[in-house]
Amino acid sequence: MDNREPTAVAVQIRAQRDGQFVFVLDPSLPFQMILRYLEKRWEESNKFFRSAKIVIDLGLRPFRFDEILALRDLLKNKWHATITELRLGHRFDSFFEWASRQIGIPIHQIPIQEKEPEPVIIRQTCRSGTRVEAPQDCIVLGDVNPGAEVIAGRDIIVFGVLRGMAHAGAYGNTAAKIWALSIEPSQIRIADLVAIPPRQDKSSLQSKRYEVAEVRDGQIQVISF
Amino acid sequence: MPGKTIVITSGKGGVGKTTTVANLGTALAMRGLSVVMIDADIGLRNLDVVMGLENRIVYNVVDVIEGRCRLEQAMIRDRKINSLYLIPAAQTRDKDSVMPEAMKRLCDQLAENFDYVLIDCPAGIEQGFRNAIAGAQKALIVTTPEVSAIRDADRVIGLLEANMLKDIHLIINRVNQKMIKRGDMMSTEDICSLLSIPLIGIIPESEEVVISTNRGVPLVHDRKSQVAAAFKRIAGRLEGENIPIPLDNHEGSLLSKVKKIFGAG
Ligand SMILES: Nc1ncnc2c1ncn2[C@@H]1O[C@H](COP(=O)(O)OP(=O)(O)O)[C@@H](O)[C@H]1O
Ligand SMILES: [Mg+2]
Repeated sequence: MDNREPTAVAVQIRAQRDGQFVFVLDPSLPFQMILRYLEKRWEESNKFFRSAKIVIDLGLRPFRFDEILALRDLLKNKWHATITELRLGHRFDSFFEWASRQIGIPIHQIPIQEKEPEPVIIRQTCRSGTRVEAPQDCIVLGDVNPGAEVIAGRDIIVFGVLRGMAHAGAYGNTAAKIWALSIEPSQIRIADLVAIPPRQDKSSLQSKRYEVAEVRDGQIQVISF
Repeated sequence: MPGKTIVITSGKGGVGKTTTVANLGTALAMRGLSVVMIDADIGLRNLDVVMGLENRIVYNVVDVIEGRCRLEQAMIRDRKINSLYLIPAAQTRDKDSVMPEAMKRLCDQLAENFDYVLIDCPAGIEQGFRNAIAGAQKALIVTTPEVSAIRDADRVIGLLEANMLKDIHLIINRVNQKMIKRGDMMSTEDICSLLSIPLIGIIPESEEVVISTNRGVPLVHDRKSQVAAAFKRIAGRLEGENIPIPLDNHEGSLLSKVKKIFGAG
């Protein structure tokens, strides 16, 4: 079992106008960490969410029937809360897989569009507290500051300084890369690998034009150009 | 031409917003400008205490907005400067009773008659923040050089930008040159490059601030104080004067070096 403590917020909680809460699950964290995080929140929040109506937003997280059941039971039995809605993000494969097992007939989804999803372009600095999720590539025209998170299915390209958390290849694509004018010591992730780039001395900062983080020999490495 | 409405805010509490409003308001008024300060924050020490006006409060900003008194009845004149006024904060926590539109109308009304309207705003994570920023055209973000304060300042800059308040300047408060030199504190250059908004002033750390807060007399009245000089320079910059900002305050450190050399001889 994964015993890491959740470093970031494993579940983003937003209040809706109608009084319901939306729980956005981090697509990159193991389910055990999501559960642990929720238990921690429950203890810290002093029963704030008791009897709440909750929308579960999977975002880019694959649908897993057992996870949803575990979540429903936890919320029902311990929090006396009800899941009123389940939101599926951009990834339906695992949902169809489950559905076809239910009915015992293979389901084939007719592709809606042949072309790849467009890259998500953020035309400003991502400041602390911002979270960007892109199904494929993500381009940031600005810095990514500490406390901001950028998660992409494929590459992340930052036309600025990367000081916050970047997760490329978030669904397991180890060929994904992170490009930035400068990669500073923040946490970067590619697929399920995690690395913290070392601090550099100032002289090397001046000569380089850009940096790329990629997986080499099963490790994330940052190369300066 | 209507006056400027400026909100003074921060990411974290206790970084020096109230201190800034009191000293900047006083410094602007000392230049002969008319200034009204609105206290929109209920902190540990309110603006009225820092200004030494707490005994004169009868009405507050919520009374004005809800029509329980006329605007002039809630405005308290400063003890020393005739062109400086304070509108105190409501003493209750239900700050949501003020609507952003009402706050905006109040600010517009005040800007008709004053050169500056300064708003002491709650920190960005607190209740009442949206109300306090509603009427402002310009924001000053106060941060200390601590990593956590800077990160929260960054978040608030994002919030302000999302609320279409884009004229934002930075004040770095409680700067300790010795600690920066030792590498124990983030340098002002690093802070500016991270937050990427223009810097309008650096205020040194000084126990004079605490003493003046307790006396209820803003420090800018003290002619010899370095902190006072720093606030007066910010007032000048707001007035459009081109006063360069000594990054990491090398003027001060040079002086102390010279003193040391003489002292050793
Ligand atoms: N430059 C400074 N040097 C020393 N102490 C300071 C300085 N600026 C503020 N303080 C102290 O920090 C505390 C918080 O300041 P305050 O202005 O009330 O912050 P805020 O309004 O942001 O909560 C006060 O006790 C104040 O005296
Ligand atoms: Mg205050």
